[in-house]
Amino acid sequence: MNHTTQHSFEPKIIAFVCTWCTYAGADLAGTSRMQYPANVRVLKFPCTGRIDPVFILKAFQQGADGVLVSGCHPGDCHYIAGNFHARRRFAAFRKLLEFIGVDLNRLQFSWVSAAEGGKWVEVVTDLTEKVRAMGPMVEFKELALEEQWSGVIDTPELKEAYNAI
Amino acid sequence: MSTRVPDTSIYFAVTEGIRAEANRLLSAGEVTAIVGYTTGRRTGSSQPIIVTDADDTARLCFSVTSVNNLAVYLTKAKKEIPKNGKIGIVVKGCDLKALVGLMGESQLKREELYLIGVPCVGVLASTVQPSTELTAETIAPKCRECDAHLPSGCDFLPDVALPPLPQLDGKYTAEIARLEALTPAERWVYWKEQFAKCIKCYACRQVCPFCFCEQCLCDRNKPQMVDTTPRPSGNTAWHIVRAMHLAGRCAGCAECERVCPMDIPLNLLNRKMAKELKELFDYEAGLEVNDKGPLTMFTEKDDQSFIK
Ligand code: SF4
Ligand code: SF4
Repeated sequence: MNHTTQHSFEPKIIAFVCTWCTYAGADLAGTSRMQYPANVRVLKFPCTGRIDPVFILKAFQQGADGVLVSGCHPGDCHYIAGNFHARRRFAAFRKLLEFIGVDLNRLQFSWVSAAEGGKWVEVVTDLTEKVRAMGPMVEFKELALEEQWSGVIDTPELKEAYNAI
Repeated sequence: MSTRVPDTSIYFAVTEGIRAEANRLLSAGEVTAIVGYTTGRRTGSSQPIIVTDADDTARLCFSVTSVNNLAVYLTKAKKEIPKNGKIGIVVKGCDLKALVGLMGESQLKREELYLIGVPCVGVLASTVQPSTELTAETIAPKCRECDAHLPSGCDFLPDVALPPLPQLDGKYTAEIARLEALTPAERWVYWKEQFAKCIKCYACRQVCPFCFCEQCLCDRNKPQMVDTTPRPSGNTAWHIVRAMHLAGRCAGCAECERVCPMDIPLNLLNRKMAKELKELFDYEAGLEVNDKGPLTMFTEKDDQSFIK
């Protein structure tokens, strides 16, 4: 993978990860000097069980183009069952988002252990490239813009006034 | 063959049955209050009433306008309910599912309730005048796909046989199928338009038996997860959070949709989630008292085909 390629669109990827497995896995990728796209912003949580679906919503509203949720493999949870609960919750949440009209290709879930630096690189790279191909996530941003009358300058009068400044 | 029009004549006998039983219960001191329906001011309408005196039991009734889910008077709106003793409550099959859910969530105790069940053929949609006759056109959408015409496990059921019921096609089922067949972008357009109408009056939350949080996540501002103003972005978030928090709990009494002043098809989201949870985890809300719902338990074999 050639990371010096210039892209016209750099997606923002927000990764919600648990501190015990995926964060350590990402750390391992870093200390092993593996390369992965710098598009990912990592947010550390104690456990995937602590990741409220509303965080994902918030990420999209604040401009994320893709979201990754990642934690310990089933059976490896530091709190024993947090990821089992998360697995059910996100299975349901995905269905809800899909029904509302969100393209699920922008939302990825994964299990990445502390030893899987390579898998972290793979997951992050795949999601970044998938989202890059899809282009920016505009739906939630548009909602926010619609709230401000000046959000989209779409009348000739406004455009003229704007250009005159 | 089934008839086209639900036969509501049993509601006279149901009313008689409720009155007699309420009178007996209050006279004998078995309960301290009965939560039921009484006639409202507009012709044909009815409204909730809390009766604490045996002499008032003649005011109780049941009719096609007895739409309210009274469960909410036992939890959130219990100001007028006596604090001691057993409470009697009139329940339709759909309302009973909410009570069952509330018992599972430790909000109510079965032994503190006396359930007066109603054999129910259906109630009127909220969009028609209360004096309207109950027909296949005027019946509430939830009643079209009801599977609980005869509530089970009640302490008392009026001795009335259910008449044969008409087979009506399910409007929710059809609408969910229609939306599922659209592309995500088309669905987004549909919901965007619906959510844009919301004025954040929170009537849907107020009337919901399961929205009993002391402080709703959507009211908090430290941190503020959901924008509180009635504008497109915050509205969308509110509706997604609402649907998510009720997933696995809502049994479809559709009160949210009845009270919404902006005619947003709220229960569609809840019913879609109920359908998904049935498919994913084989769980249906309101059938039996469970202390764990589908999203508060797990098995090691749960589907994870969506996880890398
Ligand atoms: S959903 Fe069933 S029990 Fe509830 S009002 Fe309609 S017919 Fe009666
Ligand atoms: S009742 Fe309707 S308008 Fe009011 S908050 Fe609920 S969805 Fe919005």
